[in-house]
Parts: sequence; C-alpha cells; structure tokens
Amino acid sequence: MPCLAIDHVSKSFGGLKALDNASFSLEAGELVGLIGPNGSGKTTLLNILSGHLSCDSGTVRLDGKPITGLHPEALARRGVLRMFQLTRSFPRMSAFDNLLVTGCALGLTLPGAEKRALGLLEDLSLTRIMNLNAGQLSGGQQKLLEFGSCFMVPPRIALLDEPFAAVHPTLKEIMSGFIRRRHAEGQTFIVVSHDLPVIVELCPRSVCMNAGRVIADESTRAVLTDKVVIEAYLGEAAA
Amino acid sequence: MLTLDLLINGLVIGVFYALMAIGLSLIFGILKVVNFAHGEFYMVGAYAYTLSALSLGISPWLSLPFALLVGLLLGLVVERLLMRPLYSGYTSWGVMRDEYAVIVTFALSIFLINIVDKVVGPYAYKGPALINISRITIGPVAISGHRLVAALLAVAIIVVVALIIRYTFWGRQIQAVSQNRLGASLAGIDTAKASAIVFSLAGGLAAVSGALLANIFNPTPDVGVFPAIKSYVIVVLGGMGSVPGSIIASIILGVLESFGGVYISYQYRDTFGLFILVLFLLFRPQGLFGEKAREV
Amino acid sequence: MASAHPINRKLQTEFAASLVLLAFVGVLPAFVTNAYWQGVVVVSMYFAMLAVAWNILAGYTGQFSLAPAAFGMIGAYTTGLLSYYYGLTAIVGVPAAIVVAGVIGLVLGRIVLRLRGPYLALTTLSFAEIMRLVISNSIDFTRGDLGLNVPGIFDSRLAYYYMMLAVLLAIQVGLFYLLRSRAGLYLRAIRDDEIAAASRGVLIVYWKTFAFTLSAAICGLAGALYGHFAQFVSPELGLLSQTGVVISMVVIGGLGTMVGPIGGALLVYVLSEFLRDFGNYQLVVFAFLVIIFARFFREGLWGLLLAAFGRPGRPAAAATAAE
Repeated sequence: MPCLAIDHVSKSFGGLKALDNASFSLEAGELVGLIGPNGSGKTTLLNILSGHLSCDSGTVRLDGKPITGLHPEALARRGVLRMFQLTRSFPRMSAFDNLLVTGCALGLTLPGAEKRALGLLEDLSLTRIMNLNAGQLSGGQQKLLEFGSCFMVPPRIALLDEPFAAVHPTLKEIMSGFIRRRHAEGQTFIVVSHDLPVIVELCPRSVCMNAGRVIADESTRAVLTDKVVIEAYLGEAAA
Repeated sequence: MLTLDLLINGLVIGVFYALMAIGLSLIFGILKVVNFAHGEFYMVGAYAYTLSALSLGISPWLSLPFALLVGLLLGLVVERLLMRPLYSGYTSWGVMRDEYAVIVTFALSIFLINIVDKVVGPYAYKGPALINISRITIGPVAISGHRLVAALLAVAIIVVVALIIRYTFWGRQIQAVSQNRLGASLAGIDTAKASAIVFSLAGGLAAVSGALLANIFNPTPDVGVFPAIKSYVIVVLGGMGSVPGSIIASIILGVLESFGGVYISYQYRDTFGLFILVLFLLFRPQGLFGEKAREV
Repeated sequence: MASAHPINRKLQTEFAASLVLLAFVGVLPAFVTNAYWQGVVVVSMYFAMLAVAWNILAGYTGQFSLAPAAFGMIGAYTTGLLSYYYGLTAIVGVPAAIVVAGVIGLVLGRIVLRLRGPYLALTTLSFAEIMRLVISNSIDFTRGDLGLNVPGIFDSRLAYYYMMLAVLLAIQVGLFYLLRSRAGLYLRAIRDDEIAAASRGVLIVYWKTFAFTLSAAICGLAGALYGHFAQFVSPELGLLSQTGVVISMVVIGGLGTMVGPIGGALLVYVLSEFLRDFGNYQLVVFAFLVIIFARFFREGLWGLLLAAFGRPGRPAAAATAAE
C-alpha cells in the first residue's frame, strides 16, 4: 500500500483550473521531486495535501486512509508536515521555542522536546542563534528553522515547498545534507523546487506538472530529458 | 399616515448615517483598519458647528463649512501622527498592525471624549437649525424644515463624494491604493498622500454628519458613541470598503430602526444594529457587497 | 522541567518583579493607614485582575477583545443577583460568578474563533454593549441603572485588602506555571502566526477557546469580589470606558509581560485618584498615555525600565524582519 496516494484531484479558482485530475503516489521512504513551470499547480497541490485548501474532487489517502478535507492541525498530527514557500515562523518566540512548539503539539513532553530541539539545532548549525527571536534571524536562518520544525517529530511525509529558494549556498548544503541523511533513515519527502540541479542530486524520482496535470512521473533523469517536460518549460520549439 | 412617516423618517436618518459610514468604509478600504474614533469625528463636528454658531453668533450656514474644515483637519492630523506606522515599515508591532490600530483608535476615542468633556463641559447644547421652519408639508408627509434641508445637503454631499471617488484623478488613486497598496506604489502613486486624503475626507464627512444632526441629537461629549456603533454595523452590513454598500446599508438600517423602534421595542432599538452586526460578522463578514474578509 | 533557556528567564524575571510589587502592596497598610487610600488599592487590585485577564487574551494569545469590563460586570451581577433573589452569600456567589462568566466566555470564544483584528474587536464590543444595555434595561430583573446592593463578606477593610491580594497572587502563580508549560508555547504561537501554528499541529480551536474562557472567568471572579467589597454593583461596571481603562493599564505597564498588567493597574489607578483631586483628568491623561506608548513604547513601562538598566543579552525590542 502506498504511503501517499493522490487520486484524480481537481481544484478550480473561479474560472481557473489549478489542478486537473492530478494523480500520483508515493511509497514510504521515497524522496520525490515535484517540478513544473510557474502556475503548474505544485503549490496548490501541496496546499491540498497539507489541509490548507480543499479540493473540488478526487481523494488523497495517507497509508490507505483518506485525508481529504482534514484541517492542517489534524494532518500535522497524522504526520503530514509542511514547509511554506514564504517562510512562516513565530517571530516573537526564540528559535528554540519555535522548535518546541511543534514538538509539544505533536505529542512530545517538554523535556523530551527540549532535548530533541537541541539536537536539531546542532544538526542544522543553528545552535549559535537558538536564543534569538525568530523575527531577528536572517531569511535563510528562518527558512532553516522552519525546515527544522518539520523534523521535531519524524513526520510520515515531509512536504518541502521551495526549500532552496533564495537561500545561501551554505545553508542549502546544510539542508540537502540533512535531507539525504534522513532519507537514508527512511524518511519520505516531497520536494517542490525550481532548482533543478539540486533535484537531480537529491531525488531519485520526479513528478512534473503542467497546467494542473501530471505530465511525467519517472526517474529524475528520465523526466528531465522527457520531450513533454522540456516542451512545458521552454515551449514547443525547444523540444 | 404612520407608515409613510416612519419610512421618511428612516430614510432621512439613513442618509445621515451614510455620511458617517462612507468615511469609515473608505478608511477600511485604504488602510484595512476600523477607525474606533470615528464617532468622535462626528462629535467634534457637532461641537464645532454648535459652538461657532452660538458663541460667535454666526449663521449656521457658515458654521457648517467650518465644521467640515475642522473635521478635515482632525482627520489629517490623526492620520499623520497615528496611522503612519500602519504602512511605513514601523516594525514594533510587527504583524499585529490591526491590533495597534484597534488600541490607538480606541484610546483616541476615549481621549477625545474626555478632553471635550473637560474643555467644553458635559452639558448638552442644542445645535442651531439651518432653517427655522419647524414643519414643512410635502403631500401627505410633514417634516421639520431643518431635517429636510439637512437631508438634501447630505444627499448632495454623498453624490459629490461618490462622483469624486469614481471619476476624478484623486478618486482613482484612492481606488488603486485600496485594491493593491504595493502595486499602486510601484505604479508611482503616492500612497501616503492617498491615505491622508481618505482619512481627512472621512473626518470631514463625519464632522458634517455631526453638524447636520446637532439640531436633532444635542451635542454632548459622548454623542458620537451610538452613531459610531451604527456606522460599524452599516459598514459590515454593506461590506467593508464598499461605498455603495454603505449607502444602501445605511438606508436599510435607518428604516429598520425607525420601524423597529415603534413596532418591536423603543428601548432596545439601539441594539438591533448590534445584533445584525454580530450575525453578519459570524456568517457573512464580507457583508452584502464587500471584499472577502481578509485572510491572514 | 525548568531549563535555563531565555524565555523562562524572561518569565522568571517578570514573575519575580510582580512578586516584589505584590509584596510591596502587602506591607503598604503598615504605612498607609488611611482607610480611603487602602480602598483605592483594593479597587486597583480589581483592575489588576481584569488587566491580567485581558493580557492573557491579548498579550499572550493575540486576541484583542473589548469585553473584559463586561465580564467583570457579569461576574458582579451573578453574585449580586444570587444574593438579591436567593439570599446566597459570597461562598456560593463568587464561584458561581466564575462559572457563569467562564461559560459565557467559552461560548463567545467559540463564536469569534475565525475573527481577527478589527472584526474581533467589533464583535466583542457589540457583545459588551449588548450585555450592558440588557442589564441596564431589565429594570424589573436587575433594577437597571439603580444597581444592586450586595452583602459584604468581612467587617474590616483590611480583610478585603488581603483577600484581593491573596487572589491576585494565586492568579499570578497559576499564570506563571501556565506560561512555562506547553500551553504557554501554544498561546504565543497562535499569537505570532495562527496559520503556522495550525500547520505545526497546535489545536487552534481548543487553545483560543481556552484563553477566552480563562480570561472571562478571571474577569468574573474579579467582578464578584469587587461587588462584595463595594457592596454595590451597577451596569457602569461594564462601560466601554472601563475596558478602555483596563487596556490602558496593560499597554502602559507592558503588554505581553507578566508584570505589566499589575504594575500598570496599580500605577494608573492610584495616579487617577491623585488626579481626581485636580479635577477628573484621569481618562484624558491615560488615553493620551496609551496612544504615546502604543505609538512609541510598545514594551510599556516595563520595557523602558529594562532598557534603562540595560539588560545584557536580552533580545532587542521585538523587531520583525518579515511581515
């Protein structure tokens, strides 16, 4: 049984069809890249997966159980954790507390969460700034912090929305190193990104979307040389 | 005939409410905040009109533009001093800009009420009438001369303002900033100026409303409190940020109160609006015509 | 459970400061033997409880309600009406006030869940005014503006004084433990970014409702105690201007701190009594101060105090880079 099964999901905003019968599925432990030109529906799909939007039709199943229509809190508690494209953190709480919130909300005790958080901060080289308020951190550090929050309690599936966008190469390294290590331990990921080199490096498999549909779903190398995909990005002439 | 009387009465009151509500709606449209001191702009206008006529002995017809001027000025000063932080990158309140606006305008309201109470005294004055005919009969309806003239003036002002917003250069800038502040500024519009104009205009409109009603609701320091609450009801009912919505909602509320005061309960007539407000806020916060309640 | 990390240090400092303040209030009657001024401090403790309650809701959870005074009035009338109609004393009246105010707070909290900022303010304002008007107009039931006489509890003024102080102390201690716990994390997370909090698994509905209920219950308790002290309750307790006073106390003292509400309440109310001798300028002054503080000194007097004594390593006044 696949870990995540997206089945003919559609979503329209007024007249605009953002998602058009999108379908694909993931097995547990996969690291999948989700790519596609702007406006292809990637973020909309992620919003539906994390409960921030409801779909018009279709179902999403986590470990066989339908999760369509659940609120973000409920999904987080089932292990669907997400990073936002525009970083969201708790600006007036310290970086340390930012991590504690997720840990405790997902069932850790306070001392347990504190221990976890310290470990994560270490892993992400953020120990130095752990007592600063999140609002005082640089954009990249905030992004790293939000990234770390997803892993306070190992999620069933981590949804990363443009984690590498506008991030310093060093932080990018830290994040991708972290992703690789966790993946080796069996963590399931969906990574949305425009940064194709990183996707090639990290993700064995990629799903490409365009105009709300899934147009390719195979190994990353194959996806990137797929005529349909190139056409989507660059137009017919280039293909 | 009672029904017609009540209807006319309601329409007239509705028109006055509209003057206040339009300003509040415009403020919300451009700054995305509710001005909790709006009732005090009304109050200041009422006092400016009444006191200038009574103590300076000038004609009420001169006091009226004076009240307008005072309102315009007050609105401008408040915007400059207190509303700037909402959009000028002042980060002390960070994401809690709405809450800053609530606190500051709420405090401003209390400040104005009490300072007028100290400076002018708590006793009610009676606002002079614009014309001294106490009863004009038009067909089956009798109405006081002042009310008629005031209502006509109010309608004229509303029409002028609506035309300005829709068709003039400044009006279109205000529309642009209301729809998309960042985009408007990128297009070269001076958003600070637009905000200042709106706040000033709102102050002026509320002040005129207070002045016109000074003859009916005698100016006291807290005379603006209930009109303000009515305005909140209207603005939510009509849709925050929608001027036509406010106008329509004002008429509805005026008529509702007029009939409700006689047929349901005179005592609780001020609470009808509050109940409507709560119902709309809960079930249809965008009101009848407004923009969707803002998501975070 | 207690670690040495800074939020606990910040809380501990603020809590300690508030204990110092309360201790000061405790020994005050040794120097201030005038019954009138002792009464002033008692009333300021009533306001301090309202301020603490409002601060929980607004300062720590980000819900700027305009109803604290209304809940105080509800609590006062609960105990007042119970004694008026059934002859019940404070032993029953005060707990009943807590429960009634808490339940109404829970319902209101559930109703306003999806509202923020001005929408929340407008709804709570309407609620407060409706409550006040209903009590004021139900002359047959509540005697309206004439008010109700409420039996006292003690014979000596000092007894009331120390009762209020004890209750305030208990509330502060409870609050301290609450804020250090996971609940404190959730409330502040909701305040900072509700959407992010939801996506991290925080039960928004539960905790917002919790904050509303707790705040309302504390206000109800304060109102009931005040009612028994003043031996009189009237709808004026629920006036919007009273809420304005409460808000001014918190903003001036320091919004979102453990010591701000108490310090602000004591300062503002005692000062207002002094000002009364010079002719009733209290509300003008305090409204003005609120505007100044909100505009320029968001951290309140407590923040100014800390800045003046230059705490090293303390995070700079909340400045956010992202909006």
